Amino acid sequence: MDIKIDNLNKVYGDKSVVNIDSLSIDKGKIYGIIGPNGAGKSTLVRIIAGLEEATMGNPIYNGRSLDTKSIRDITYMSQRPYLFRTSVFNNIAYPLKIRKYDKKAIEKKVIDIMKEFKVSHLEGQLATSLSGGESQKVALARALVFEPKVLLLDEPTANIDPNSIELIEKTISRRNKEKGITVILITHNIGQAKRLCDKVIFMRKGKIDEYGDAEKVILNPKQSTTKKFLSIYSM
Amino acid sequence: MEYIADGFIEAFKLLLSLDQEVYSIILLSIYVSLTSTLISSLVGIPLGFFLGLKKFRYKRIVTRFLYTFMSLPPVVVGLTVAVIISRRGPLGSLGLLFTPAAMIIAQTLLVTPIITGIIFNNSKEQGHVIRQVCKTLGGNRLDTLLLLIKEMRINILIAVVTGFGRGISEVGAVMIVGGNIKGHTRVMTSFIAMNHSMGNYSISIAMGIVLLAISFITNSVLYKYVAGD
Ligand SMILES: Nc1ncnc2c1ncn2[C@@H]1O[C@H](COP(=O)(O)OP(=O)(O)OP(=O)(O)O)[C@@H](O)[C@H]1O
Ligand SMILES: [Mg+2]
Repeated sequence: MDIKIDNLNKVYGDKSVVNIDSLSIDKGKIYGIIGPNGAGKSTLVRIIAGLEEATMGNPIYNGRSLDTKSIRDITYMSQRPYLFRTSVFNNIAYPLKIRKYDKKAIEKKVIDIMKEFKVSHLEGQLATSLSGGESQKVALARALVFEPKVLLLDEPTANIDPNSIELIEKTISRRNKEKGITVILITHNIGQAKRLCDKVIFMRKGKIDEYGDAEKVILNPKQSTTKKFLSIYSM
Repeated sequence: MEYIADGFIEAFKLLLSLDQEVYSIILLSIYVSLTSTLISSLVGIPLGFFLGLKKFRYKRIVTRFLYTFMSLPPVVVGLTVAVIISRRGPLGSLGLLFTPAAMIIAQTLLVTPIITGIIFNNSKEQGHVIRQVCKTLGGNRLDTLLLLIKEMRINILIAVVTGFGRGISEVGAVMIVGGNIKGHTRVMTSFIAMNHSMGNYSISIAMGIVLLAISFITNSVLYKYVAGD
């Protein structure tokens, strides 16, 4: 799915928190959004996910505005994912259940994805009792099990150990290569952006400060603000 | 001090006596409060979700009123209902005054705001998150509603049990609209109030113990469910 943004503006009270002239998200690519706290990254991604309305200029999906059908192809995982008060298995099965898959198909898909995320041993555990990293993996498995076309991730690997980070990154990149899923990923981890992303969007004060190929923006930023931000990170 | 001990002895005697009147009083109490709690739940749960999750004009004022209604004095509710259903009142022709139906109406008015308020408060935060997650996973409106009920089942249960507790323990409203008529509208609380004012302390303490036992049982069931979850 291609997503186009033109003159998007989001205002809270009298504060404009996102203000983007133009941005196009191409099918099958991985986009990284980097920027300081409060830059409007989450807000932008939540607008793309259809969770929030822009004050002006909502995004256009494959040439059309978001409807009940296209929203089913987009999924979003928040900074603090919410898991349902039931087992890990039932959590991951949920998107399939509401899509009316039969029991056998659900079981197979859930078992497969639990293996992929190395959470099979947690199958029967109450999801609300998982550790932070476990929750993150289960939430991501739940978001991917129904094979969405667009995956929006808000800091998916904050507070996660290096092994799990690697696992999550590998899964995201495999899904992207094999299934052509489009990914937009907010991260404060510059290394992760370099490893995963095709393009990087650098946001500051609600605006896109710099945009381009990941390597170029990270290794050779044009804007002084981006340079400064990145230099602090690499310290 | 002796009358307290007497109260306990009397309580056992009361329950063991299998006295028809005592049991019918207990049953009527439970019937009236259960029925009003049921009606209040049917109204209050959806209304609470609606108020908590929807944005609309005058929401502030509506919630301010809701909080006020949560602590309505039972006597005031009783009085209002009595005025409306008394023979010269707007609904006088129905002949409801001093009937169990009148008590159910009064308790429903008391309990509905409590259930609505508790659901409202819980759905404001948790409900909002649940609704968003459901949306991101592809759920439609019906899926969202079912998920909300499932995820917030404990909150719903707490709201219902709290509402029932409010109903079964209040005396002001049932006294006014029911009239504490023997064999007809006498419930536990009005029985206690009457016997106390007549100086029959031990029997009122006895019924008080029964009332406490009922609260204890309903709350135990609740906490067993909450803990077992
Ligand atoms: N509901 C809201 N009401 C008012 N202001 C809001 C609201 N949501 C977000 N904001 C403001 O919008 C700005 C952007 O917030 P956002 O969460 O998008 O930042 P972010 O780039 O994701 O930051 P972080 O890196 O800390 O996650 C912040 O200044 C925030 O305070
Ligand atoms: Mg954020």
